[in-house]
Formats: sequence, C-alpha cells, structure tokens
Amino acid sequence: MYIIVVGAGRLGYYLIKALLDQGHEVLAIEKRANICDNITSEMGSCCIRGDGCETATLAEVGTNRADMLIAVTGDDEDNLVACQVAKHKFHVPRTIARIRNPRHEKLFKKLGVDVTVSTTNIILEHIEKELPTHLLTHLLNIEDKGLEIVEIKIPPNAITIGKAIKELSLPPESILSLIIRKAHKPIIPKASTIIRAEDQIVAVTTPDSEDALRTILRGR
Amino acid sequence: MEFHKILVPVAGVITNEEIIELADNLLAKKNKGEICAVYVISIERTLPVDAEIESEIGKAENILNNIERIAVEQGLKIDTDLLQAREAGPAIVDEAIEREADLILMGLTYKRRFGEFSLGDVVPYVLKNAPCRVILYHQVTLDEFAE
Amino acid sequence: MKIVIMGCGRVGAQLSALLDANGHNVTILDTDAYSFRRLPPSFNGKALIGNGINEDALKRAGISEADAFVALTQGDNRNVMAAQIAKHIFNVPKVVCRIYDPLRQELYTTLGLETFSPTAIFAQILKKDLES
Repeated sequence: MYIIVVGAGRLGYYLIKALLDQGHEVLAIEKRANICDNITSEMGSCCIRGDGCETATLAEVGTNRADMLIAVTGDDEDNLVACQVAKHKFHVPRTIARIRNPRHEKLFKKLGVDVTVSTTNIILEHIEKELPTHLLTHLLNIEDKGLEIVEIKIPPNAITIGKAIKELSLPPESILSLIIRKAHKPIIPKASTIIRAEDQIVAVTTPDSEDALRTILRGR
Repeated sequence: MEFHKILVPVAGVITNEEIIELADNLLAKKNKGEICAVYVISIERTLPVDAEIESEIGKAENILNNIERIAVEQGLKIDTDLLQAREAGPAIVDEAIEREADLILMGLTYKRRFGEFSLGDVVPYVLKNAPCRVILYHQVTLDEFAE
Repeated sequence: MKIVIMGCGRVGAQLSALLDANGHNVTILDTDAYSFRRLPPSFNGKALIGNGINEDALKRAGISEADAFVALTQGDNRNVMAAQIAKHIFNVPKVVCRIYDPLRQELYTTLGLETFSPTAIFAQILKKDLES
C-alpha cells in the first residue's frame, strides 16, 4: 500500500518506521527541514519537506494513487484539513486523523474523515481497564454500526444476583453475549441463565443505552 | 592513495571520458580493482518507484552504452548499472554501501539555481552520508566562462 | 444581527467596529487578549478570549443564537475548521471564512463553504491596476 503520513513529529516518526517495516511504500510530509533531514538519513527517501495541507504538495507526491493518508501533526485543524483535501481533492480511500480534543471526533466523522484516533480516549480506556472497581469497560467500538462492545462486572452486592436474564428489562439494542465466571468456561447466556456475583458480562450495546444497561445489571 | 572499488555516479555525457580515465588512475593497479558506473533514474512520487519510463530508460542506456564504449577504447573493465529511486543521493549512498565501495567519484558540471552557483541536492547529500571517501571532479567548460 | 467574529487582527477588529457602529450585536474572539487593543474605544460589542475551534468557546460567544460567523485568524486551517463547526454543528445561517491559500479556497468552496482568498483578490486587483 502507498501510505502518506502528514507530520513527522514523535508520533509520526515511529509510525513511519513501523509502516516501512511492514513493507509499505511510505511518504512523510513534514514542515521542519531538520526533521526531514534526520528521517531521510535514517530511513532513506521517505520524507519530503512541505505543507501536507497544501493541494500543490499533495499533488506532487502523487496523493491520487495513495491508499491511505494519516494526519498526525500536533494540531487538530491541520489534521482535519489534510484529510479533507486528501479525501475530496484526491479521492484517497482511507483517511485517518489524530485528534487532541476528543470532542472533535464527531465533527471529523461528519466532515468525511474515516477514522479518528484520540490519544486521550485511548489512555482513558486503559484507565477503565486497570481500575478493578470500574463498572463498565469499553472493549470495542463498531463505529459504522453505532454499536459498542462493553464489559460489566457484577459486584457482590448487586440486586440482580440470583435473577434470570429474562427477568431483567434490558434496554433496546442491548444483548448480553458472553458471561465469564471465575474458574469456569465462558458461558453463552440464555434467557434462563442466573446472574451470579463477580460475573463478567460482555454485552453489545449502543452508546445511548450504555448507562441504562449498567444500571439494570448492577441493580441500582 | 589508492582505491579498490570505485563507484562512479554518472548523470550526463560531458565529463564521462575524463572521469573514467581518472577513476582508472586512482585504482591500486590498472584493471586490478573494480570501477562501477551507475546512473540513477529519479521517479517522481506520482508514479510507483518501479514504473518503467521508456524515455528515461533510453536516455540512461545511451549514457551507460557510451561509458562502455569509452571503456573498450581505453582498454578498461567497467561495470555499469541502472538504478531507479525516488532521489539520486540516497540511492548512490545505498549503492556504495552495498558494493562496499571505498571511493565515490563524482563529476559535476557548473550549475546555477536562482541565479547563483549551486551544487544541487545530490552532491551535498552524498558528501554528508557517504560510507567512504568522496572525490568531486569539476570539469571546467568553455560555457562557464561565457556566463 | 448577532455576529460572532473569530480573530481580532486588523481585518477582524475593523470589521467588528464597522458592524458594531451599524448597530449589530458583535462578539469577537481571540486567543490573545493583546489583540483586542485594535478595537476602538467606542466598541460596544463583546470581546472574549477563546479559541474558535473549541466548541465551548464558541458557545460562550453565543454561537447558538448567532445569525452569522466570520473566521479571520491567521491560520487557514483554523478558519476552515471553525467555519465548519459553526456551519455543521451549530447550524449558523451565514458562515464566512478567510483562506489565504487560493487552492485550498477553491476546494472548500466546492465543499459548500463561503470563502474569500485575500491573496487571489489582491493579486487580481493589482493585475487590473497595472494593465489599465
């Protein structure tokens, strides 16, 4: 694949390296001359000096034959514009933007950026997983379907303990898909399955029903 | 000082005859050692790096054939190679590493850029990154005095 | 009209003063308080510190009730992003955006933004003047 990386700062640097190792054709576009020089002498002809938001620069590097453009500068606005120019002017099939402000995610999606990566959100998700007391952990977002896969732990004092799943009024679009019990094999829940303390329940839900699902399962 | 493996990047036809003679003089013993002339076709990024550009290949082959002819005339043994890369500088440096050359001998012509004398991009890159010694050969031509 | 202007440079400050003098309700945003020195003492509008690509700052400036939004910072990309937030998130009826780079301006015009490129306009004016 031909992949264009806009911004060769610290994140860009390791990204370029990893993508080259995977055998892709990679080109970085970077404004700062000294960074370009360092990358060229370390990794060969895979970096040019220029503004990755400029149509002329993107034309010169053959963006119209690129399979993917990844914008990882430190500024959300630059990443947005680089992706929009790539998408709308050069019809790049996949555009990926790094975002600093997690709240920009919706806007970027709306404006045609295919994937957004927010370091803030990634770290938050890890914090959720590391905190044993946390009630609901996001495992995976299925963005194009508006669904997410989450894990909910049943605390020892939950009032749902001892109840069958059919007795719970689960929110719409929420399905319990797996129960993991200590020292047992994972169970595919049935309507008659009884909830026990310390169950780890993996469920598919929507971002809107997430809170309701958690409240029902924990019985608060 | 004598050398055993000399890499000679060539770009045009003007200085080739002199530079090949010079390369031969720099070898430890006449014909005991290797001279390799390489021509680098730079492929712009709008095309894949392995794109075949007939006109460029034709031009390169002309230049390399010319060098082989000079070699035969002077009774020298010379390898020639045609490379394709994004930029000539890194390609020359990589080639020198791969062939374990102990000298890069480059001829250069007088160039002006924005009205001032310029070495271009390739020579400074090679000087900065070469794994071995580098000799630049500047052939004075009549045209330069005319400027 | 309620108008939110982002960027209190020479153009931003002058536009704010003109609109304010004409009786419009003007709020001007800039990330640097020092920029507000350009506003005339007679300015009756609101001047707020804030970044126009931040939704909270735009809300504080009253973007939800605004009839118009103008993006006039020095950064083309910042202008483009703020203008798109105003148009697509806050549904401001009239959004105008300055883009210095004529090529980028062309693209965003085709994407439905109302844009001006001072570079293209000024070059045209000079050309006309020199050729007349």
